[in-house]
Amino acid sequence: MSEIHLKINGQEVTAQSGQTVLEAAKGAGVEIPVLCHHPALSNWGACRMCVVEVEGMRTLQTACTLPAADGMVIKTHTEQTFNIRKFVLELLFSERNHYCMYCQMSGDCELQAQAYNHGLDHWTYPRPYEKQEVDATRKYFIMDHNRCILCTRCVRACTEIAANHTLGLRNRGAETMISADLNVPFGESSCVECGTCLQVCPTGALIDARSAYGGREKDVTHTQTTCMQCSVGCDLDVVTRYKRLLRVDGVWDSEPSGGLLCVDGRFAPLYETRKRVVKPLVRKDGKLTEASWEEALGLVANALKGDTCQGLAACATTNEALAAFAGLMTQLGGQAGRLEPVAPTLGYGVPAKVTDVLAADFIIVAGAQPLDYQRVVGYFIHRAADQGATVAVISDSENALSKRAALTVASAQAGIVAKAAADARKIVLVYSVGLKPEVIAALKPLGDKVSFLALDPARNGKGAEAVGLKPQSPVKTDVAYILLGEQPVADALHVPAGFKVVQAAYHSTLTEQADVVLPTPLWYERTGHVTTLDGVIKPLQVLLPAPADVRDESVVLEQLAALLR
Amino acid sequence: MGKIKVATQWLEACAGCHMSFLDIDERIVEFFKHVELTSSPITDLKHPPEEGVDVGILTGGIGNEDELHEAQEMRERAKLLIAMGDCAVFGGICTMRNFFPTAEVLRRGYIETESTVDGQIPQHEDLAPLTDKVSGVGDVVPVDIYLPGCPPTADAIWYVLTELLEGRMPKLEGKVLKYGMDGG
Repeated sequence: MSEIHLKINGQEVTAQSGQTVLEAAKGAGVEIPVLCHHPALSNWGACRMCVVEVEGMRTLQTACTLPAADGMVIKTHTEQTFNIRKFVLELLFSERNHYCMYCQMSGDCELQAQAYNHGLDHWTYPRPYEKQEVDATRKYFIMDHNRCILCTRCVRACTEIAANHTLGLRNRGAETMISADLNVPFGESSCVECGTCLQVCPTGALIDARSAYGGREKDVTHTQTTCMQCSVGCDLDVVTRYKRLLRVDGVWDSEPSGGLLCVDGRFAPLYETRKRVVKPLVRKDGKLTEASWEEALGLVANALKGDTCQGLAACATTNEALAAFAGLMTQLGGQAGRLEPVAPTLGYGVPAKVTDVLAADFIIVAGAQPLDYQRVVGYFIHRAADQGATVAVISDSENALSKRAALTVASAQAGIVAKAAADARKIVLVYSVGLKPEVIAALKPLGDKVSFLALDPARNGKGAEAVGLKPQSPVKTDVAYILLGEQPVADALHVPAGFKVVQAAYHSTLTEQADVVLPTPLWYERTGHVTTLDGVIKPLQVLLPAPADVRDESVVLEQLAALLR
Repeated sequence: MGKIKVATQWLEACAGCHMSFLDIDERIVEFFKHVELTSSPITDLKHPPEEGVDVGILTGGIGNEDELHEAQEMRERAKLLIAMGDCAVFGGICTMRNFFPTAEVLRRGYIETESTVDGQIPQHEDLAPLTDKVSGVGDVVPVDIYLPGCPPTADAIWYVLTELLEGRMPKLEGKVLKYGMDGG
């Protein structure tokens, strides 16, 4: 990259070679109107809003696609560019059915904002009044083709960020439509509902079913926090209003996901249907009955005194809570462990970061299903494959990544993969609890050429690791203390202890068996930290207040520790 | 100087634009120092005076032959015509029927609706037939000033009226140029 000098609106501007005119202008504080351009996406040049005058060029040029060059003389806001932009807007409004009066995006719509900026007080072109489809076949968001301006931001988001290639264009000219796969309803398509397209849509064409009409940008609050749904730990921009969780957006330029989220992080937590535990419960005459914290903690402390105890934590809570949990168990002399298994250790290779997947030219996936859980890693593998990386899947059962893999082999044939990867520049091995010893052995010849990403199946497994919690099965003790948090409980979990304390956010088969249930806050009702797969300690923020009788696990565990001291 | 004569009429609309006009609140006292309101839903006079008015204000879209006639009459009798509100400017919410044939709309509305028993499509020589499509005022007569919004805010209406009283053509931009309910 070298420095270049150009003139924008008479002002001397210094830019970097490789930048577009749009970027060079932005760097100099000149805002050129855009619609199809989005900073997280490649440039397309479809809408013609960003046209500028360039000295020596015969026609107006799209600033978003024109590379800035040394000596260029550019005018961004002239009568001609203004008139052309207004003309473009008139054409866009005349193409489909844009009615701000009942659109959820009114007030936040980029098309509307540009129309205001260009003084568009009426439309001069007749409208076709052709009914366009509204596709509501997906659970979380709706596509209204009436409001689509064919900017293709959604197509580019699907292709470049999610690397899922569901969206495309069909037909040509005025008949052009956004299409899922080979023109099937969205709900029947290959869409993974990551919602990236929803986030980049400039108009009301993509509608979030939950937050639509829930408040305009000027009415809502944005808070940045960390996703607690898996160990990747994506940054979230959570939108709230009137103590209601409206929407989750990704955060561009954040590590590791760069704004990409998955259905588990963006949508699912907002549609939680499990019944919440809102008060401490104690078993009286065989039935769980609401009790005061004093009574419940008294019962727990009493049970823990002098009896054999096993503490089991689902690593679905904060580092602080896990530390307090481990501390209490140490104080009691009981055994403590985590409920979830851990991925095995290799004995060779160097640890990788999540983003290393994107830089790999050979990716081995073994004993893991990253498209089903920790999905951002799966999407990153797709993205790397799009860039030409070879993907090899080692699996004894079906793996969704096989579709895009160059080869899929059974564990017994893992040696084939080791051979295929031998000449690769950067090998990343993505694995989880399903990694078999024979695969570890077969890949050993690759040695330290392997960067490995061990996907912890727990949400905050790294936090548990830091306080020494290792997988344990429930054993027969007098008391079991189970820190469950928000984690759904596995049906197979059988706790043989005589007295069971369950600290949980939701009712479950486990709370039904419990002698004492202590309510815990949800990810958006608490502060604290989690440790991501990359080992980064990230904060949680209080977005909404917890119900009055819910207490943070770490507070409760410290109260218990004090009672037992 | 005599008072400036203004006439208003609502066509295919919900009356919200006139409500928004009344939201200028106490400013209306100042307004009437300079303005004589001739025909208007507020004065309940049906036709603008034959000798003409200075300013005609139309709200609502054009959805039947009578509304078309009223728009033409207002245009003929007003020196300056304002299309006020999203319906008058863009056709508005009434254009929802433009996606269906008129006969189908009537059948649905008067016969098929769930609450209707033994319905029939009203037909009488006094009833104006529907136009094929609902349109904005500007699609049938020349309009001088467009003031969109659903409704335009009282401030936007006040801005346009006071600019005219000052002898200037209002320029719709910034806070006074809003579509839908974005202004409120």
